[in-house]
Parts: sequence; structure tokens; C-alpha cells
Amino acid sequence: MRLRITLSAVLVTLFMWSGLFAFQRGRRGGFREYDEPLVTPADAGEKTEWAFARLKYPSPRYWNWTTDYPKADRQFVQGVRRLTRLHTRSVEQVVDVDTDEIYNWPWVYAVEVGRWDLTDPQCQRVRDYLLRGGFLMVDDFHGTQEWEVFMASMSRIFPDRPIVELENKDQIFHVLYDLDERFQVPGTAALYRGLTYEKDGVSPRWRAIMDDKGRVMVAICHNMDLGDSWEHADNPRYPEKYTSLGYRIGINYIIYSMTH
Amino acid sequence: MFELLFKYPASLFAKGQFVFLAGWPPWALGICLVLAAAVLAYPLWKARQQHAETLGGMRPAGIWILQTLLVTVLLFILWHPALSVATLRPQQNIVAVVVDDSKSMSFQEAGGTRRDQVVQALNSGVLKNLEKKFQVRLYRAGASLERIEKPEQLTASAPSTNLGESLKQVAGEASSLPVGAVVLLSDGSDNAGGLDLATINEIRRQRIPVHTVGFGREKLAHDIEISGADLPARTLADSRVSAIVTLHQNGYSGRKARITVKDGAKTLATQEVTLKADGIEQTESLAFNAGSAGARNVQISIDPQAGEENLTNNAVNRLIAVEGAKPRVLYIEGEPRWEFKFIRRAIDLDRSLLMSTMLRTTQNKIYRQGGSASENVDGFPAKVEELFGYQGLIIGSVEANYFTTTQQELIRQFVDRRGGGVLFLGGRFALSEGGVGKSPLADLVPTVLPEKKDTFHRDPANVELTGAGRDSLLCRIEDNPDRNVERWKKLPYLANFQEVGTPKPGAVVLAEMSSGGRGKLPLLVTQNYGRGRAALFATAGSWRWQMTQPLGDNSHEMFWQQMLRWLVSGTYGHVVASIPKSVFSDETKIHLRAEVRDKAYLPSTDARVEARIMGPSGTAESVELRPEPTSEGVYVADWTAEKPGSYVVEVLAKRGDDEVGRDVITFRREDGVAENFHIQQNRELLEKLSSQTGGKYYEPSQIGRLSDEISYSEAGITSRETRDLWDMPILFLFALMLRSSEWLLRRKWGVV
Repeated sequence: MRLRITLSAVLVTLFMWSGLFAFQRGRRGGFREYDEPLVTPADAGEKTEWAFARLKYPSPRYWNWTTDYPKADRQFVQGVRRLTRLHTRSVEQVVDVDTDEIYNWPWVYAVEVGRWDLTDPQCQRVRDYLLRGGFLMVDDFHGTQEWEVFMASMSRIFPDRPIVELENKDQIFHVLYDLDERFQVPGTAALYRGLTYEKDGVSPRWRAIMDDKGRVMVAICHNMDLGDSWEHADNPRYPEKYTSLGYRIGINYIIYSMTH
Repeated sequence: MFELLFKYPASLFAKGQFVFLAGWPPWALGICLVLAAAVLAYPLWKARQQHAETLGGMRPAGIWILQTLLVTVLLFILWHPALSVATLRPQQNIVAVVVDDSKSMSFQEAGGTRRDQVVQALNSGVLKNLEKKFQVRLYRAGASLERIEKPEQLTASAPSTNLGESLKQVAGEASSLPVGAVVLLSDGSDNAGGLDLATINEIRRQRIPVHTVGFGREKLAHDIEISGADLPARTLADSRVSAIVTLHQNGYSGRKARITVKDGAKTLATQEVTLKADGIEQTESLAFNAGSAGARNVQISIDPQAGEENLTNNAVNRLIAVEGAKPRVLYIEGEPRWEFKFIRRAIDLDRSLLMSTMLRTTQNKIYRQGGSASENVDGFPAKVEELFGYQGLIIGSVEANYFTTTQQELIRQFVDRRGGGVLFLGGRFALSEGGVGKSPLADLVPTVLPEKKDTFHRDPANVELTGAGRDSLLCRIEDNPDRNVERWKKLPYLANFQEVGTPKPGAVVLAEMSSGGRGKLPLLVTQNYGRGRAALFATAGSWRWQMTQPLGDNSHEMFWQQMLRWLVSGTYGHVVASIPKSVFSDETKIHLRAEVRDKAYLPSTDARVEARIMGPSGTAESVELRPEPTSEGVYVADWTAEKPGSYVVEVLAKRGDDEVGRDVITFRREDGVAENFHIQQNRELLEKLSSQTGGKYYEPSQIGRLSDEISYSEAGITSRETRDLWDMPILFLFALMLRSSEWLLRRKWGVV
């Protein structure tokens, strides 16, 4: 009798846990960075033109793609809503690189790509996605070693396309905000140590991979952490100037992706 | 047989006037008939009372009818019936024998050419018999009329046939000469203007009967002919052009044949078709790329079939002016949208279009792309010269009240007066959602927009071409029409759609969509408006056609490039030159027309308009165009293009020293080609000509009767003759038959 009760309790617990897991994967894809209760906005189910599409990719530590998730996504979206006419959803959309769902989201954001490790089919899908007109924004990876890891996959996506430094005059820095004066946007971890950089990523790099018409397909934010600038927009210890620039860069990248 | 029974040919009865020669009035004949009928009825009535057993029922009535008819015939003869007919006086009248001497008469049939058959027919006694009664003038007819002495001078080499012009010349001679009749020997293959009503009326006015003798078979046993090919006279570089090819055939029903469109040695399009039943007109459509700018001489041909009798009618040539100008399109978008991005990318690939875009990124910021740095810096154009500089306009997700009242009217005038094209897209702020239905812009929208809100739905919608869409070049993303339909069916679903109400009268629905249980809704609707055109694309979700289809699929780009080319296709500049057709076969008269509009695109009545014509071998000439009194801003000139070859015409309009505008058109003159087509005898035309002029159509075997029957004519010098009818054999036979019938009936009934 006791065994039966124990087994039933275990099964019920497993069932409830798996249900919760499945629910989280459905919209949010799985893990969160924070443990605070996730409040689903009332308009979370609204159908909109654009949603913050976060790319879910494989890495040695499974959760790298979830960094800053979902607070950064949702706080950034509030800014996008307030500052532009773009019809946006209040909650993010997790897009698995293993599925064709990615083609329904022509703008995707990938974080901590200094740790991603894409398979060949995944590289092929991302390549197709970008050449069809998709836009990939990568962020929050620092220093030489993470750059090399990033490139290990990126060079398989585009073996023949160079990485170029974006110049101030590029439209991506003027499509909405004029961003001639940019500076390094630090993550909180570095900031609390009194620095603005991590590892050997002393200088921020705004880089890109262009298509045949000279349009940015992959916007590479190296040696900076825009995700933290969105996530900590409500953090009194995080300086406003970094958040402000982080929002402007993010919004410019979105508008650019929807105009080029 | 007719002549045996009625004594005279039928043509005499047709031309003659019936008269009684006895001198008694016709009404007296009627009275006599009534009296005779009464007199005949009385004894029969009496006999019926006495012999009720043999003359019962309707028998007396039968006998009475037969007797009355017999008396009628006899009284008719007593009144001395006759025909009064105008007859050509012997040797005082001219008979014009006009022989078709065009190339089509050299067509080989039954062991010889049609020309040989004509010569043989004329020399078999027809001419001699005519000459016994009339002065005969022999003519050969080509593009014009020429007198000859004998049939052997016919060459069957004239590059064209203009029967109307030839008959006009004969009618002209008849005003000073006693032309009693015209005999036309032809295959009826007129290819230089046809017989117009004015020519026929002129001949009828002079009462000249035209007798026609038809040569040639009315149907070739084995032949395919391209009877028409319609292509636009002008198009943009790299545009998709549709050639509508009409053909018919005999003897190859059900067979496969290949139609090819070529530019020199380069094949532009090819399509295999199944030939329809004999004699049935068949229309096929071939789409091809017009290529780079310049005049393009396109040949449309169908492969010859085994045993085909005429191979020269398997190909036609057409000229297309491919314009190098790049039309400008302005696209205003009210919010950042994927549709905007992907339309821009599609048009970026089109070298022939320039697109300027204005995107409202925030409440008070507009992001401008394309065009010059100074273009639309103050927002959407508010002046004629700013907006009318574009040829096309796209209005995206923009509320109607974003535009001022002046701008709304300007947009309407842009289509109506300027002749521009406007395209409305679906969207969150578009159409009904943006109050367009209650604004002056509603006139331009090809549907009656619903008055409700919540018409824009972010739900999937599947697309499907309508019948009109299948035929429209706008929807052609695949050259082959059948494959095009299939490709549309396979397009991914749209990301969203908008309810746009019902199409207006005159609007054409090219594509429909379905979503959930809503049934079919209009997706792509077009309409003409004033001098321009308007379209509605009720979605902002076609970008999925690009993102969700394999790399290399060009459905999305093709559709949007076609759409924008359609949008600007009929939007011309301040001067629009035109000619009736691009290829003139055996015609030298060219009617030039130019429509001139001022800077505000209002008709310009005080312009000086000149055409500079560059002909073959570098000849150049200037022609002044004069204002057309009945049409404001229209200038015309007639000019003769003597030499065959290609011509380029540049029309330049000026007001004082200021240039209003200029336009360039091309055309081609060719000789002797049209004669290869419609080679079979056009009996219908010849019969129509003869019947409308009081003449008669003859087959070559009946030509011997011509000299007798031709005498009856109202034209020339005539005398009126009367021909007795009382002694027609038919009357005596009829009387005998009546009497015999009565006798037989009486024998049968036993009342003899």
C-alpha cells in the first residue's frame, strides 16, 4: 500500500514537473536566468508584426543562449514599443535553430555566441535564413578566445564572406538614431569589478557580415553586453548612459533589419 | 431549270419590275377573280344538295379551289404580265474586268496558279462574248488599279491587294464614262484596308453592279496559319512581355506544334500547344523578357507540319520599343513592417525601376531611402511638380488623415490626370482601419471598403488565382500559364490579410485568399481610374513567399517586380506619341498622333509639335503635327513611309523655346508579306460585295453565263425593255396540273 502511494506521488510530481517544463519550452524555450516568478503580461498572446526572437542554439553549457532571458528581452521590447511605431509583442519568441520556425522570424538575437557550437545542418539553416533576407544580431561575447569560438561556427555558415568593421557612416548607425559616438556597453559583472570590458576584449567592436548588395546580414556586437544594458535598465546601480546606448543600438538594428 | 420554267434567268427577275401590259387596271383583275370564284361556287353548291352521297364533306370546296386557281391563272395571262428591265445598250457601255494581280494569285492549286486559272477562264470565250456586247476594259488590281490589254499581262506579283482602292478608281472612271458593270476576278484576299462602307456606298450610288468570280479553294486541306500576334508597342527594359498569338489550322487537329518567339537568333520563349479542330481560332499566350533598351524586332513562328501547303504564313514579325527610362515609384509606409523590407529588396533587383521610400519609424520621424537627398525632405509631396514626378505610388499602412486634404486630392489627381498608378496595401492602419473608405482616396480603391473596424487579421491566408489572374501578366511568376497556376497554388500562406469588401463595378479580381471559415476574399484587385490605374493588395504578409521558400525561388521578387511594372506601365510623360500599329504591311500612310500635356499634366493647346522621322538607310525627315480640332492637346499628322524597313520617330513638343517633352516610337513597314496570309478564297467578302452592289457571285465554272446576265444593269447607258411573262412554261404547266387534278378527283369520287 505504502509503495503504491509512494509511486503515485512520484508519478504525479513527475507529471506536474514535465507539464511546467513543456509550458516553458512552448513560449520561452526552457531555462531562465533568474528565479523570480515570471509574470506573463496580459497581452502576451497578441499577434504582432515583430517579436523579440531569441535564438536557441547548442553550446557546451546548454543554457548559454538563455543569458539575460527573459528580462532583457521584455524590458527591451517595452522600449521598442515606446520609441517606435513598430507593432511588437510584449513577450519574446524562442526560435530553435533546429527548426524551420526560424524563417518566420526575420530578425533573431543570439547571446553569448562565444560559446555556441553549431552543427553542419544548423549552419546550413542559418546560412539559408540569412541569404533569404533574415537578420542575425549577436551579442555578449568577449575577447580573443570567445571570438575564435564564434568564428568556428560562423566560418562554417559563411566560409567565403569576410567580417567587416562597421563604419560610423553606415546606415545601421543612422536609420533612426545617429550613433556616431559609441562606447563600450559593459555587462554588470565587469562593471561591478570597476571595468567596462571582459577578458581581453578591451575595445568594443561593431562588426558585420554583408550580403552581395552590401547590406548587413549579421550584426556582430563584440566586446560588449547590450543584453545587460536592457536587462538592467531598471537597476539603479547600472548607469543610464549604457542602457540608453544599448536601447538605441538595438532599435537601430531592428529598424535596419526591417528596411534593408 | 429555273430558266426553263420561267423563261428568263433569276437575275432578270431580281432586277426587273413587274408590270401588266393589257391596259386594264390591276384592281379589275381582283374583281374578276372574286366574281369568277362566286360563279364557280354556285353550281357546286347546287350539285352538293342533289348528290350529297358523292359530294359530301369538303369535296366541293376542293374542287372549287382547283377551279378558282385555274381561272386565276387564265385571268393573269389575259392581263398580259411582263417584266420591265433596264438593259445595257449594246456597244455603248463599258464593262470593267478587274483581275486581282496580287501575289496570292500565284498560289499553286490543281496543277496551276490561280492567275493561270483566271487567264484560262478569260480566254475561254468570256472576254470575246463580253466584247460582242460591250466595250471591255481589262484591269489588274494590286495596291492600285492598272489597265492592261490582255490577260497574259497578269503577273500575280503585286505585293498587296487593295480591292477597295481598285473599286474606288473604277467608280471614279464611271463618273465620266458609261461603266455598266464591273467584273471582279479575285481570291478575295484583301490585306490592305479591306472594303469599307464608303467605297461600297459610292459604287451603290452609281448603281454599278459588281459581279465577282471567286478563285482558289475556300479551305486549304493542310495548313497552319498565325493569324494574329498582339504585343505591347512599348515596354520597360527587362519587363515580362506577353505575346497573344492567334492561329488556326486545317488538317492537323489534335497534333502538337511548337510556337517560338525569337529576337534574331535568340529564342525568347517557346511553348508546345495542341492544335484545336479545323478552322477554329486558337489563342495562346507566351511570356518572355523584353531584354535591354532598344527597338526589338520579334518573330513569332509555329513549326511547320509535314505536308503543309503554305509555309509562308507560319511566322509574323512585330516591333517592340523597349524603353530605357527608369520609372520612379514612391512608397510611403506608416510603420516598420517586413513587407516593406522585402518589397524593397525585390525592387532592388530590378534595374528598370527606381523606388523612393518613406517610412514612419516613430511618430515624428520618417526614414527615407532611394531617390535623391533632397527628395521629400519635408514629408509626403504636397505639390503637383513633386508628386507628378513619379509614375507610381504605393500607400502602405498609412491612415487617410496622415495626408492633408490637399495631398489626398493630389493623390487622386495623380491617378486621374497624371495617369499614374497607385497601389494600396493591407495593414494595421490601412484601408478601413485607417479611415480610407471615408476619405477622397476611397474613389481610387478598387473595392467598396467595409465600414467596420478590425478588418486586418494576423492569421494565415492561402492564395489562389482567379480566371482573370491566370490571364494577367501581372500575376505571371512563371512563363508557362499552366505552370504559373500551379506555382501560385504552391505559394506559402500569407502572414496576414485584410477584409476589403466587394469589388467595384469594372474592377478585376486577379487573386483571392481564404482563411479559416471566412470563404474566399479578394486579395489582388485592379481597376482603371481616369488616365491611370489603381490596385489593391489586401495583405502585408507576402514576405513569407521569400522567407519560407527555398533559396533561389524567385516568386516573391517576380511578383513584386511585375506588380510595380504594371503600376507604371501606362504612365507616360508630357508627350505621348502613337501610331495605329507597329507593323504596316503594304501600307504607306502613317497617321501620327501626339498627346501633349503641360507641367501640370493639363492638355497643352499652344505647343509646337514636330516629328523627326529616321527611316531605313538613315533617311531623316521632319513633319509638323497640327492640333486636332476635336481633341484638346492632341496633335496629328499624316505621313507617307515609302520605303520598307524600320522607322524611329521622335516627337518633340515646345512652347516658345521651352521644351514641353518628347517621346520616341518605332514602327516597321513591310511589303509583300501580308499576301502570304489568308491565302484561301474569301468567298464571304466576294459574295458580300456582289450582293450589296446588285451583282452576283460566280464560281469559275459558271463564268460562261456572265456575258448574258451582265446586260441587266441600271448603270451606264441603258434602255428599258419589257419581257413577256404570259408565255412562261410554268404557267401552262400549272394550269394543266390544276385541270388534271380536278379530273382525277372527280373520277375518284364518281362525280364526273
